[in-house]
Amino acid sequence: MLDMTALSAHHGSDAAARRSRSRRNAQLRLQAYGLIAIGLAGAALVTLLWSVFSKTALVLTESYIALPVEVPGDIDPDNIRAANFNGIYRSALYTAFPQVSGRRDRRALTEIVSSAVLFELQERVEAEPALIGQTFTYPMLASDDVDLYLKGVFGRLSSEAHSGDLSMTVDGADIQLFSTANDFNAVLAFTKDALLDRAAFLRGQAALQDTGRRVTEGQAVELEAGEQRDALEARIAGYIAQRDRLLAEADDLDDRADAPGGTEAMGTDIPSLLIHVSGGWIRATEVSADRLRGRILVPPEGTETTGPENWKMYVNDRPEETRKVSDAQIAYIEDLRKRGAISTVFNWRFLTSSDSREAELAGIWGAAVGSFWTMLVTFCLAFPIGVLSAIYLEEFAPKNRFTDFIEVNINNLAAVPSIVFGLLGLAVFLNFFGVPRSAPLAGGIVLALMTLPTIIIASRAAIKAVPPSIRDAALGVGASKLQTSFHHVIPLAMPGILTGTIIGMAQALGETAPLIMIGMVAFIVDVPGGVTDPATALPVQVFRWSDFPERAFEAKTSAAICVLLLFLVIMNALAIFLRRRFERRW
Amino acid sequence: MTNQRLNEGKMSNRQIKFDANHVDVYYATTHAIKDVSVDILDKTVTAFIGPSGCGKSTFLRCLNRMNDTIDICRVEGEIKLDGDDIYDRGVDPVQLRAKVGMVFQKPNPFPKSIYDNVAYGPRIHGLVGSKSDIDDVVEQSLRRAALWEEVKDRLDAPGTGLSGGQQQRLCIARAIATAPEVLLMDEPCSALDPIATAQIEELIDELRNNYSVVIVTHSMQQAARVSQKTAFFHLGTLVEYDDTNRIFTNPTDQRTHDYITGRFG
Repeated sequence: MLDMTALSAHHGSDAAARRSRSRRNAQLRLQAYGLIAIGLAGAALVTLLWSVFSKTALVLTESYIALPVEVPGDIDPDNIRAANFNGIYRSALYTAFPQVSGRRDRRALTEIVSSAVLFELQERVEAEPALIGQTFTYPMLASDDVDLYLKGVFGRLSSEAHSGDLSMTVDGADIQLFSTANDFNAVLAFTKDALLDRAAFLRGQAALQDTGRRVTEGQAVELEAGEQRDALEARIAGYIAQRDRLLAEADDLDDRADAPGGTEAMGTDIPSLLIHVSGGWIRATEVSADRLRGRILVPPEGTETTGPENWKMYVNDRPEETRKVSDAQIAYIEDLRKRGAISTVFNWRFLTSSDSREAELAGIWGAAVGSFWTMLVTFCLAFPIGVLSAIYLEEFAPKNRFTDFIEVNINNLAAVPSIVFGLLGLAVFLNFFGVPRSAPLAGGIVLALMTLPTIIIASRAAIKAVPPSIRDAALGVGASKLQTSFHHVIPLAMPGILTGTIIGMAQALGETAPLIMIGMVAFIVDVPGGVTDPATALPVQVFRWSDFPERAFEAKTSAAICVLLLFLVIMNALAIFLRRRFERRW
Repeated sequence: MTNQRLNEGKMSNRQIKFDANHVDVYYATTHAIKDVSVDILDKTVTAFIGPSGCGKSTFLRCLNRMNDTIDICRVEGEIKLDGDDIYDRGVDPVQLRAKVGMVFQKPNPFPKSIYDNVAYGPRIHGLVGSKSDIDDVVEQSLRRAALWEEVKDRLDAPGTGLSGGQQQRLCIARAIATAPEVLLMDEPCSALDPIATAQIEELIDELRNNYSVVIVTHSMQQAARVSQKTAFFHLGTLVEYDDTNRIFTNPTDQRTHDYITGRFG
């Protein structure tokens, strides 16, 4: 038989020490895994928030270009809408840049302001007919691309050092500039770097031609001499000629890049060089060490030679072809900026306006109101139905197979993908019951279905958590089952019920898929006035904007996500507050 | 106190309040109470004693049909309150519980004010209408539960904020506020210290003047101190039921003798 007292000696042995060490290490390892997991989760969250918030920063402000606008005196005050406000705001821009002529240049000029200026100016004059016949300074909303340029998305102009006197010779739309010093050397250098890049690209193309030659030669070897083989030989010769031509061109480019001095063209695929002289703007198209040839964007007022302090040289590191703001538009904007015509204000428009095809006009108010109506319908349906179901199942329903079956199914419903609820809504509510499409009513019903299981499960848990002694106490003084439930159990379960409801509602607020199924994904400019008006919702707005190619919409997407997150945070904070406020101890 | 009891008149002269005949209780297939017949007298304290799990609490809960809330519980036999079968189809258990109040083992005041705790019963039964009448009922109930002096200045304070003994007295006040005829107490002092226990026992003695009190207790001293009649349960059967002084001085059954002398249980 085992001698138990002898076993006590084991506790002091080396084996025991090893065991306890390995147990301790196992515990430390587990703690380390836990810390790593938390670290990864935290990093993911920080990355998400950073990417959203950094883009949202672009939406915080909007830009205005304030210019004197002349409203002609011949407008009929009773029919202001008939007036040509399109011409009015355009001529304000043409007056600001009288040198700009030609269809394309004028079009580039008018595109720096939003097309909505037309309507806003019209509304302004309608509100204040005294402006007819007057000239007043009117802030025009900048277009989305100009706004983004002002925020630095399309590169910033950096000033280049220079020391020479500049003389000019106008040559039609072009201009020749000479500097007494080698001021353009730095620009020439990066222009030549572009040649090297081009040469590398050509060598890549040459390598492709060579691959074609090799493959074709392999095919030719297997063929007898004849017509087919001759055709292949001809193709091989073509490949070789093409390859050699590309290589020669690349070598030529390399030589040009390596050789000192020379003259190089400045295309739209390399950083732009802008010269500001005598109130004019010139975009360089060809550069050498001490001279350059350029296109006149805004003509200079005089062509006399000026000292180094009177002319400026700017480089935008983003090549023109990679941005939506042309060099000419940059010249107009910078000129306006120097005149102090550009102002930046907090972007209330984003919060107060509805969706628009113009990025600078698009706001989330319509979507927020749509979400509000949808949530209202969801709450009015899901809360009473969910809570009453929970009360019945928990307090009154007999415990039998049937209620077990219902319980299992409610739990399963909570795991059904939301798009399935969307399909159900489409088939049953829209097609069968004829609920209006795209309306918050339909969205609310579908989201209520989706939220119901969450509310029922949370409410049942809350009701179950009320101690039985409270029920006994109420029944003991002769309260009926109904009185016990409504006077004692439900008030005590209310914090839990409300928490579950708010979390379910928050889930519904962020739901997109079912709303897409029932058509709440439409482009809707009007703010919905009721539950049957066509509407969209915040998450759907995020989804729609994320699909647009414009950079400005990318920023708007992040901003809309921020607003959605804000609502979710508020709802969760409310849930925590309610839980704390109404929590009772017994 | 026990000596005083000995001097009191014969119990059998008093009116019978509860008349239980051949009561069997089953929890699913478990036979918890086996053929128990007992007469509980009016204006008397009746104690149920016995080892744990002997069925005394189950039987007590049969008297106001609290067992109805347990789905698997089934009661057979006949229990008459003032001659009417309380398990009759026509009897509303809610009405019955208004007449037969109950105090539980653990103090379980509602998480409401002291006032609302006591006023709840009268309100839901519509015993009194006006505010002043309810005030009156609350005050009287708290006075009879010997709690009025301690709480009269803070009737709006939550009942759950009182001490354990005060909470239990509040529960008693709540039970008597509905003006019951019988008061059932399921080990009302098991969670209390000796001082609170003494207060509650004194209170039970007071209540005897108006109510029939049935108390389940694990303490034989308590049974001897407060009751006039004692029933000894063992393994679901009623072994012996007699005057308290008789049970504690001269039991007829050997099991009763063994239990009260501490041989088992």
